[in-house]
Amino acid sequence: MKWFIIFFSLINLSVCIYEDQIGKFDWRQTYVGRIKFAQFDTVSTAKKIIVATEENVLAALHLKTGEVVWRHVFENASPGNIHLLHVGEKITTVTGDNPMNQSPTLSATGVLMWEWTLMLQDDSRADFSEWWVQNGMLVHMLPVFNSHLEVTMYNVMSGSNRGATSKLPAIWNNEGQVICICVLTAPYYTCVSGEFGSQILVSMDVTANAIQMISKPLSNIIEGAVGNLRALDGNSVIPGFIVDDKKIVLIKENDFNVLNVKVEDTLASASIADGARGPLVLQIWTNYAKGYQLIAHTLSGQLIPEIHSPDSFLDIPEPELLAVTCARDQLACRLLINAADDAVHLVQQGGVTLWSREESLANIKSVEFVDLPVSDADAALESEFDQKEGSVWWSFVRRLQSQYQQLSAAVERLRSGEVLDRGSASLHRDYFNLHRIMVLVTEAGKIFGMDNLSGSLVWRLYLPTLSGARTILLRRAARHPHTAMITIVGTHTDTGNGYIVTLDPITGRMVPEHTVTLDVGIMQCMTLQETGDDQLRALIVLDEDEAVQVYPPSAASLVHNVHMYVADQDTGRVRGYAIRYNGREAVAERTWSMSLGGSGPARIVAMSSRSRLERVRSPGRALADRSVLYKYSNPNMLLFVVEKPDPTHKEVVTAVVVDAVSGAVVGASSHRRARALPLAVHADNCFAYLYRSDKHRRVEIATMELYEGKDRWSPAGEPFSSSASWRTPVVERQAYILPALPSAAAFTITERSLTDRHVLLGLSSGGVVEVPWSLVEARRGAAGEESVLPYLPELPLTADRVLSYNLTLHRLAALHTAPAGLESTSLMLATGLDLFYTRVAPSRTFDLLKDDFDYYLITIVLAALVLATYGTKYLASRKTLKMAWK
Amino acid sequence: MSQVKSNKKFKWALDFNPKNKSQTSEILSPPGYSQSTSVSNAESSKDTDSNLLLIKKLWDVALGPLKQVPMNLFIMYMAGNSISIFPIMMVGMLIVRPVKALFSTQGTFKMVEGTQAAGQKFVYIIGNIVNILLALYKCQSMGLLPTHSSDWLAFEEPILKAEHIGGGFSML
Repeated sequence: MKWFIIFFSLINLSVCIYEDQIGKFDWRQTYVGRIKFAQFDTVSTAKKIIVATEENVLAALHLKTGEVVWRHVFENASPGNIHLLHVGEKITTVTGDNPMNQSPTLSATGVLMWEWTLMLQDDSRADFSEWWVQNGMLVHMLPVFNSHLEVTMYNVMSGSNRGATSKLPAIWNNEGQVICICVLTAPYYTCVSGEFGSQILVSMDVTANAIQMISKPLSNIIEGAVGNLRALDGNSVIPGFIVDDKKIVLIKENDFNVLNVKVEDTLASASIADGARGPLVLQIWTNYAKGYQLIAHTLSGQLIPEIHSPDSFLDIPEPELLAVTCARDQLACRLLINAADDAVHLVQQGGVTLWSREESLANIKSVEFVDLPVSDADAALESEFDQKEGSVWWSFVRRLQSQYQQLSAAVERLRSGEVLDRGSASLHRDYFNLHRIMVLVTEAGKIFGMDNLSGSLVWRLYLPTLSGARTILLRRAARHPHTAMITIVGTHTDTGNGYIVTLDPITGRMVPEHTVTLDVGIMQCMTLQETGDDQLRALIVLDEDEAVQVYPPSAASLVHNVHMYVADQDTGRVRGYAIRYNGREAVAERTWSMSLGGSGPARIVAMSSRSRLERVRSPGRALADRSVLYKYSNPNMLLFVVEKPDPTHKEVVTAVVVDAVSGAVVGASSHRRARALPLAVHADNCFAYLYRSDKHRRVEIATMELYEGKDRWSPAGEPFSSSASWRTPVVERQAYILPALPSAAAFTITERSLTDRHVLLGLSSGGVVEVPWSLVEARRGAAGEESVLPYLPELPLTADRVLSYNLTLHRLAALHTAPAGLESTSLMLATGLDLFYTRVAPSRTFDLLKDDFDYYLITIVLAALVLATYGTKYLASRKTLKMAWK
Repeated sequence: MSQVKSNKKFKWALDFNPKNKSQTSEILSPPGYSQSTSVSNAESSKDTDSNLLLIKKLWDVALGPLKQVPMNLFIMYMAGNSISIFPIMMVGMLIVRPVKALFSTQGTFKMVEGTQAAGQKFVYIIGNIVNILLALYKCQSMGLLPTHSSDWLAFEEPILKAEHIGGGFSML
């Protein structure tokens, strides 16, 4: 019986999509991360670029389009680090850090052919390991500074060692203190040795059977050189390096060969490529005035004017050559360029960009969904009803005017033949407010505006000095006639102090008057609820000296009843501040402070507060006996998940619900022998967090719900105040076994929170699953309740509740939700290595016709009915006439 | 009343015929028969008879709703408490009929006059009210009446904020 109930409840809840709906409301973009190594695959017929990235991804990019042809995602942390990429007949990589290095070899189609593991004996200096492939042998070189080099060779195919590790005496090799003085340009290992002023450049072919040393005084190359060596980029065909960012030195025929080519810029990236007229020296750099520049020389120093780039103002910050390929029969080159903003460009020698990939999107820090401005016609309509003064006649005239405007706009649209589409072409709010701009702030400091319907980038802005942008705040919605404004609060790279950037999220233009570089560090920040005259929410910044700064300063008088809290992740300390306006300025006063771990050490693994977008409409829930169980909907609650060591239970996970205004602990629960996952969600009176139970070796999701009881504490209509409430709510707790490992979690948010609430879980297996709250709610299994399901410890994750259907989203990092204009719908963006956007309808789209609704059929049926009515009317009248004549 | 009066007039007019008068006066009345008394007596007895009948009839009408109560109770018992089309229809009938009857009280008791009219009306109204209460009880037991707090949940004010909070992990 129990099973039947569950079975039928699941039928109701299933919200899977049909095959023809794939891609209708959702899109997926695949990224690989910042590229570390790249090589053109010239061997196989399908032209590709094989790349290995800092995100431990090995991928093949299509040469023409830049799309990912295939992709292998290795382990996340150090076990997946890629040290080597060698593309020959097959692709060989070395991944992982000591003591387990793996060397998988893949065919050009991305199929793993074999993989072998090698163990290094000495892992203390393993960070300095160098790997390369030479003549079918994998060479591993480990420099022991001021002593020798250890070189080991392995057969790439089998992994068998050639014998003993050879130790090459090299007293000259040393660890540079500030500057890099030893470089490997396979197979040569080069160092600057000796005292400053009398330095010698020493190089050695480490794979040669007989030890051959090349040495030359550094002063022969450059007078007064510091001795900073930098290897040539872009898989240079001739081993070489750049000394002091000034001279290019090649190693040819066991000799240093100083090129007669001027290094154009200190940051210029240079490489040697095989061209039609022999080897070419290519240099790229970015000039502040002229943008991206390319120059090519022959080895003898002669300029090749055919290969150049015009002053295109192509903006590639700090370009670095990843790979170069030049045609054999003509002077044409293609360059794969990595930029400081993690973008990768394939550029032709004429300055033509074949394609660009914004790889910084693989590392998104924060996301904000921004409403689009209303269209001109709607704005006119709004302003028409805004004007309160004026007589009936004036409003009638205004009505006529706006209708004339609408009519002329419609005629204009018809004349231009433009189909009325809600696509990305027009950045105006649509009827259901489903069309948004997503502002994405990435780790690299690049900010993007992305269209949520198509996934196309509307604007991009690179702020090299912005780092650690953790907070993103919407300061103003697009209300006519004001433009929207969004503020990103981060730290300045150079000083570590606060850096506040304000943008127009629709166009991506910076608002200079609201962009501030502070001279102190920011501890926390928030926006005021009240808006000033210009509809702009003021920004309150609590700096490291616990002083308050308000932007704009004139809004300080609006500060009242504002509280802030600051949590320290590593010590488990939380402090609460009351921000007050004392007549001159806003001041912060510390109101409470607590240590979540008690006396011992503790670490806050996850924290969650109520989403700014959430509006709770219902104050309680109806029970089976038709009484109301009132929710404890304190809007100031915070959920902290704390992990602390315990002498008897190894590790204890404690979840604490704290009132941020008063600092009172509202509810708590703890789990012994468990480790917390950094996932916690909170909405209304519901809390959920995840932990790994060491005792049972499984992942569990624990939920808490807070209730006031059967009577409402505060009279209806009175605003909730934490400082006035003295009663503690009833805490319901429950835990469920989750048959998966989640890496991201979020609640769906809808406009008025009337729709069911679902927990979205991003799984490490690459799916986004929605779990109805009714399956995990803390009251599940309550006795005598008809509306709640009976308690079952196992949580079923059925395939029809996977939002990402058969797509595998690698390394899901976070899920971001926002309410749509439709009550039934919530918008969801999953970030990680991939971006996945879709619409979620937790109670199905009850306020919208199904997308396969047959408009033609219903029109035809209606028309046929009308026709039939008139037809039968005529026939009936004729019949009565005939009857009368009889 | 007017009819009764005209009847009397008519009888009185018959007495004006002199021939008949002489004839009738010649024939003696049977013993124990008094014309004057008999006429008045017969008239009065006839009048009280029809009045009694009317009153009886009207009492029937007035007591009708009360007599329906056991039947209604039986129907209610048979209908059960489940919410489906037939019980709903029955409950609807149970409510609608007495309400209709209440509104047409004036029409039903149009002819009633006399000392008992007020009592009859009162009993009739009481009977209907009892029926309505029965139907409401049925609605209540079926859960159709919004008498619980959960029925008014949708109209309760949402919770507003008095304080505003912000913050998070230390950005330092």
